[in-house]
Amino acid sequence: MEFLNVFGDLAGGFATALQPFNILMLFVGVMLGLVVGVLPGLGGTSAVAILLPVTVIIARTSPTSAVILLAGVYWGALFGGVVTSILFNIPGEPWSVVLLFDGFPLAKRKGKPGVALASSFFASFVGAFFATVLFTFLSKALADFALSFGPPELFAVFVMSFATLIGLGAESPAKAVMMIGFGLLLAALGFDTITGQPRLTFGQVGLLAGIGFVPVTIGLFGIGEIIASAEESGIGFMERLSARVGFKDILETLGELRKRLGLVISTGIIGFFFGVLPGHGATAGSFLGYGLARSYSKNKEDFGKGEISGIMAPQAAADAAAVGSLVPMISLGVPGSPTSAVIMAGLFIWGLTPGPLLFVEHHDFVWGLIASIYVGHLMTFLICLAAVPLLASIMRIPYAILTPFIILISIIGSYSLNNSMLDVFITIVFGLIGYWLRKMKYPLAPLVVAIVLGDSTERTFRQSLIASGGSPAIFVGTPIAAILLTLAVALLLVPLIRSLRSRGRRAEPDFDVSTAID
Amino acid sequence: MRPYQVATAVAFALVAAVAMIDSRAGALVDRTGREPGGVGAGFYPFWSAALMFVCAAVVAYRAWKTPTPGTSAFEGREAVMAVAKLIVPMVIAAASILVLGFYLMTGLYMGLFARWIGRYRWIWVAALTIGMPAAIYATFELGFRVTLPKSLLYDAGLLPF
Repeated sequence: MEFLNVFGDLAGGFATALQPFNILMLFVGVMLGLVVGVLPGLGGTSAVAILLPVTVIIARTSPTSAVILLAGVYWGALFGGVVTSILFNIPGEPWSVVLLFDGFPLAKRKGKPGVALASSFFASFVGAFFATVLFTFLSKALADFALSFGPPELFAVFVMSFATLIGLGAESPAKAVMMIGFGLLLAALGFDTITGQPRLTFGQVGLLAGIGFVPVTIGLFGIGEIIASAEESGIGFMERLSARVGFKDILETLGELRKRLGLVISTGIIGFFFGVLPGHGATAGSFLGYGLARSYSKNKEDFGKGEISGIMAPQAAADAAAVGSLVPMISLGVPGSPTSAVIMAGLFIWGLTPGPLLFVEHHDFVWGLIASIYVGHLMTFLICLAAVPLLASIMRIPYAILTPFIILISIIGSYSLNNSMLDVFITIVFGLIGYWLRKMKYPLAPLVVAIVLGDSTERTFRQSLIASGGSPAIFVGTPIAAILLTLAVALLLVPLIRSLRSRGRRAEPDFDVSTAID
Repeated sequence: MRPYQVATAVAFALVAAVAMIDSRAGALVDRTGREPGGVGAGFYPFWSAALMFVCAAVVAYRAWKTPTPGTSAFEGREAVMAVAKLIVPMVIAAASILVLGFYLMTGLYMGLFARWIGRYRWIWVAALTIGMPAAIYATFELGFRVTLPKSLLYDAGLLPF
């Protein structure tokens, strides 16, 4: 019976998502995402952050259209990064880095750029489709479960999301904790919402309202990335191939996909559940998919030389992880990736509260978003198959035009939300901080998640203590809170165990998922 | 790279220390019953800063003790110049909005990049200098009804932007 309800809700969602204006927003989002995905200097997260002020105007008439626009950027960027990795050997996005291993070799050494591109597009689509089906059926169940959560359980969820960022894969747990502390401090700045006392304002009236999330994010991602890119492009080397995806390439790819359908679906499903974990979006998913494909392949020696499994598996996992990263945002109010953290900030700005109540209070919004994920991926897939030469030509926009343009758009984005020059200066300062943190290999994901969750974490912490009359026993007073906090502690012990195990044997370099920016 | 790693961690430790000092009044649990739940406004920022301070100290210590190859944070002089060429005009452009307003700044900024970095012919520089502010005005001011900052000349009634 519950299943039938889901189908009914989904049908309603499609009715919303397929409205002409929403289709237009999705198309605009996907195209913008494809463009920023192709451009190495600008990421999906930056584009979503820069667009937030624009979505305020759209959200006045329909928050669903606004979220569809932002989600479209995410899906477009997921596909767009593929093109430059395969054709130019330059990853347009962090999650496309893994495609350099087999995508470019297949395109160049084996002379099959069309097959390499089609393989990644088909795998993305299949992975995302299965992930979206899981999203459809699991998110409501998770939200229903979460409706029974009180402040102690919610506080435990937030602590666990921070613990996940630290425990799973952070190269330097100390740096990750440092970034979380910094993010919590930034979130605490301004008036204390419970007592009304100013905090960390040092007498500055302009800081009483706190530091806005949007200017900080635009700075960290938009400006920070463009500065890092300026440095790298001065050093980098660009090799270009040209290609289009022909009918023959599609037929050949379909044959290859049939042989690997089990791999693509299984990495998609694993990628989805990996993406659900807070802080682990598409980039970590792509490396996970590649690792799985290589580990279970009979032809390990072919990896790195243009093996199609080395393209399909990471792409399926990356897209599925990106879809999965929206599940905790919608169901629990916890972002699954930096990009979903920025989208979640958008929800706050539009006056919505992410979390289980969304399914009750904004039913059309949630199901419209879910249906738009199906439509958005189909749209992106078809556009990509048809428009590879056009996407590749975007790379030819000169640096001298593109770079100042991105900076100007970032300035407009940060100014227009509150008509405040202080926000512009905050963006510039955080742009410099973001660039330097990248350079010093500090993870930005924990920082962004902490800024977004900082207020909610403090509020639930203090509400719990107020409810218990100051007794900390409330945090382990219910089974769910106790289990979640125990899991959090276990996750925090992971780096310690890993460090003890690696002693005495040569340390192998790990991919640091918490530095992944998606 | 090591000195930069140490300096970065120390800078964060200093920020954390300042935050701890600022919120020290509410650092401890209140037993008098004045604060709701026993926790005041300073409790959360103090312990967030304390966490940050301890980790920054650990990072600084490890960076100091771990030998890393190379001492420079940049890959040669070209990299420094590439970053400086972007940062310096950006900071000046942002600051100049207070005087020039957004549109005059945009024109000058685009023109500067087109001529200095792109080495375009003057006709293209002029096209970008005029075209970009016009396009932004049409999109944001007319399309989205977003009012962007105007110049002092606008305030004096001498320019329309």
